Amino acid sequence: MPDGAKPVLDVRGLQTVFRTRGGDVHAVNSVSFHLEPGELLGVVGESGSGKSVTMMSLIGLLPMPPAEVREGEVLLGDMDILKISPAQLRDVRGRRIGFVFQDPMTSLNPVYNIGNQVMEPLRRHMGMNKAQAYTRAVELMELVGIPDPERRLKDYPHQFSGGMRQRVMIAIALACDPEVLIADEPTTALDVTIQAQIIELVKELRTKLGMAIVWITHDLGVIAGIADRVIVMYAGQVVEQAPVKELFANPQHPYTRALLKTIPSVTGERETRLKVIEGQPPILGAAPTACPFAPRCGHAFDRCGAENPIRRALGAGRVGYGHDVACHWDASKGAAHA
Amino acid sequence: MLDAKPSVKLVTKLVEVKDLKMYFPIHTGLFRRHTGDVKAVDGINFDIYQGETLGLVGESGCGKSTVGRALLRLYELTAGSVTIEGEDIATLEPEALRKKRPMMQMVFQDPQACLNPRMTVAQIVSEPLDEHTDWSADQKLAKVYELMDAVGLNRVFANRYPHAFSGGQRQRIGIARALALNPKFIVCDEPIAALDVSIQAQVVNLLEDLQEKLGLTYLFISHDLSMVRHIADRVAVMYLGRIAEISPREPLYADPLHPYAKALLSAVPDPDPSREATRQRIILKGDVPSPSNPPKGCNFCTRCPEVIPICREVKPELAEVRPGRFVACHLVPAQNNNAAGSTSGTTVQKHNQQGEPEQ
Repeated sequence: MPDGAKPVLDVRGLQTVFRTRGGDVHAVNSVSFHLEPGELLGVVGESGSGKSVTMMSLIGLLPMPPAEVREGEVLLGDMDILKISPAQLRDVRGRRIGFVFQDPMTSLNPVYNIGNQVMEPLRRHMGMNKAQAYTRAVELMELVGIPDPERRLKDYPHQFSGGMRQRVMIAIALACDPEVLIADEPTTALDVTIQAQIIELVKELRTKLGMAIVWITHDLGVIAGIADRVIVMYAGQVVEQAPVKELFANPQHPYTRALLKTIPSVTGERETRLKVIEGQPPILGAAPTACPFAPRCGHAFDRCGAENPIRRALGAGRVGYGHDVACHWDASKGAAHA
Repeated sequence: MLDAKPSVKLVTKLVEVKDLKMYFPIHTGLFRRHTGDVKAVDGINFDIYQGETLGLVGESGCGKSTVGRALLRLYELTAGSVTIEGEDIATLEPEALRKKRPMMQMVFQDPQACLNPRMTVAQIVSEPLDEHTDWSADQKLAKVYELMDAVGLNRVFANRYPHAFSGGQRQRIGIARALALNPKFIVCDEPIAALDVSIQAQVVNLLEDLQEKLGLTYLFISHDLSMVRHIADRVAVMYLGRIAEISPREPLYADPLHPYAKALLSAVPDPDPSREATRQRIILKGDVPSPSNPPKGCNFCTRCPEVIPICREVKPELAEVRPGRFVACHLVPAQNNNAAGSTSGTTVQKHNQQGEPEQ
C-alpha cells in the first residue's frame, strides 16, 4: 500500500475503560492504527486482548456506562466520530461504516423477515422508497450469493443456515456502499468449509466494490490468507504491526513469535511437541506501567518490568507504516533495544 | 514384541464399534406421533487400539459428539454394539455398567458448564472417588492432591471454586476428575474448542504427557484439523452421521482419498501467507443436508465435486482401499496390493477394519 494515500479511517491514541465496582478495567490502551483505501487490515489477538472493544468503541456501540472512551480521536475522512452527536453518529453507522458481527443468529432480528432487515438501512440512510429498496435488496442478495433471492427475502432468519445468515449480514453491511467494513470474527461461528465460502465471497466483493475492511480474528490462518497488513493486540495494546508476509516471515515481538509457534498446521512439518506460552494473559486492572507480556516473556529484563514500551518503527519507516513493534528487546540484534 | 515398540501399542483392540446407530425420534402433531428420526449416527464401524489416539473430525452436526457419548453409553443406542475390553457396553445391565464406568471417562468441551459452581476443586475431583470407592477421607484427599499435581494445578487451590480459575485451568480440573478412577479410555469431546490458542497448546501437551505416563487411550473429538494432526495417531472423518474415511494420520493429511476429506483439509486456513497464496482450495457448494432426511445413496452426493450417477443410488460401504486406510466412496477403488492376495473383480472387503493402522 502506498504511504501517501489519505487513510479512510485514522484511529489515534484510543483509550477505553470499563468502570466496574471492582475498579476500572483498562480494556484498550492508546491504540493507534489507520486504514488505507481498499486495504484489508487484519486484527489478531486472543480473547480479552481488546480487539472487539476497540472496534465497538470507535463507532459508539459500547454501553456507556460502564464503558468510557477516555481519550483518542477517530478520524473518518476529516470528521472525528468520537466528538459528533448521537444523531450524526447514527448517520455514520450503517451508511459509511458497515459492521458484520461474529454470531449471525443473534445479530439478526428473529421476528422480522430477511427482506425487512436488508431494506431497513436502504430506507433509513439512502432515502429509498419501498420499491427501490426491494430492487436493491434483491441485487444485494445476488451479490452475496444467496440463490433465489426474491423468495428468500420473505424468509425469516431461522430458515437460513449459519453460512447463509452470515451472507445476509454481509449484504446488510454492504447495503449503503460503506467506505469501511468492520468484520468482527465473521467466520468464527462457522464450519471450515463454510468459512472458506465466506472468505472467498469477501475476497471477491473486495475486488468488485473496493471498500476498506478491518477483519478481526484470533485465527492466524485466516489472517494469512486474506489480510494485506496485520496488527497484533495483546492486553489492550497494539504490540506489533506489519504487512502480512513480513509479519509471518519476520515476527519481532516475543508474543507474536510465540503465537506463531504454538499453532499447528495441516501442511508443512508436523511438530512432535507444541510450543507453549506459559502462564495467563494479565487482568487489565490498572493502567499498565510495565510491559503486559513481561511475566510470560522469555526475553524480559528489568526495563520490561519498569516501563511499558511504546511502538517503534523498524528501519526507516514511520510507526503505523511499514513494520513496528512495542518491545524493549530487539529481536534482530538479539539484545535490548538501545 | 519388545523390539517393535511403536506397533506394540496398536496391536490390542480396546474399543470395537460395530454398526453403531443413534437415532433421535421426532414427534409431531397433537398426539406427538413418531414421524421421523434425526439420524445423528447412521451405522458406523471402527476400532480403537490400546494406547492410541483416534481423532474424530467433522463439521458441526455430523454426529461426532454423539458417537463419543454413545461409546460411553450416555445415550441408549438405537442399534449396534460397542465392545470395550470384551464387554458389550450397549447391552450391559445397569449394575454391571456402573462397575465398568471407572475405566471409561470423558473430558467435556465447555469447562465452564461441566463443573458444578457450588463445589470446590477438591470436591469435584473426589466425586468419582465418593461414588466408586470406599476410601477414607484422608486417602481421597491424598489422591486429589496427586491428581492436581499430575495436571499441573497448585495444591493450594484445592478449596477454591471453579469461578476463580481461568478456562485453561478449569479444563485441567475436568481432566483431573476424568483421571480420578485410573481409566484406560477417555473420550475427549472438543476439549480445547473453548480455549485461546496459547492455552490450547498447554492442554494438548498435558493430554499427551498423561497418555505417555498412564498409557491412556483417547478418542479425541475435534473440528480443529490442525490440532488433530498434532495429537492423533489415526483420524476418522465423519460426514452426516457416517464415516467418510479412516486413515493413519500422515497419509490422510498428505493424500486424502475421500472427496469430502479432500475438501475439508483444503478449507483449513494455513498460517503461512506464501503457502496460502499457492494452495488450491476446493470450495464446497451449499450446506450440509438435514440428518433427518439424508440424501439417497452416498450422503455426500449433494455437495460432492466428483459425483457420478451411482453415488445418488447406492450407499458406498466403508472398505479398506489401501493398507490401514478405509474409505466409503465409489470413486476410490481398492488398490490391488500383493499382500491382500486375490481381489476378485471390483468387490472390496466390507466392514473389515482390522488392517495394521500404522507401520
